[in-house]
Amino acid sequence: MQNRLANTLAESLLSCVLAVATVAPAVAQGKQADSGMTPMPKVGDMAPDFTLKYFDGNDLKEISLSQYRGKKNLVVAFFIFAFTGG
Amino acid sequence: MQALQQDLKRLDATDTQVLGVSMDSAFADKAFADQIGVTFPLLSDWGGDVTRKYGIYVDKYKAARRVNFLIGKDGKILEEQVDKDAIDPTKIVDTCERPKMKN
Repeated sequence: MQNRLANTLAESLLSCVLAVATVAPAVAQGKQADSGMTPMPKVGDMAPDFTLKYFDGNDLKEISLSQYRGKKNLVVAFFIFAFTGG
Repeated sequence: MQALQQDLKRLDATDTQVLGVSMDSAFADKAFADQIGVTFPLLSDWGGDVTRKYGIYVDKYKAARRVNFLIGKDGKILEEQVDKDAIDPTKIVDTCERPKMKN
């Protein structure tokens, strides 16, 4: 009887350890994916679409990357801050 | 931005639209554009969602890196210039003027 109990205990302990061992790496990976930044797209990749606003002097107007598809090439120039050089 | 403005006619001639993007407000961007004589749109990525999507957000400065992307009519990236290399857009303008780009 005692032996059986010990066996059951040992089994449940083992399954606990196994469960932790399988789950832990998954959790760690999940954390890494959360804190890691999206990598910059490379030459040949599709440019991620966006819709942003600009002020034309009268109104806020929207521009989407996709509106130029099949029509124009684009230079999208990210700059650091307004009023800080070129 | 001023360098791109200087090359704007050449880029226009190759069917290329220029867009600036920063994490400033749209109004600050417009004032900046007027001050330095930029006539193409400077888009506001207030909050930085697009900057993050492009993987160029710098947490230390709460701003984007300086990066120029040349994107073809098919939506694919043809050329990139990053940080100091992005100050002079000549490489991108030259690419635009190659014969195969003019379609």
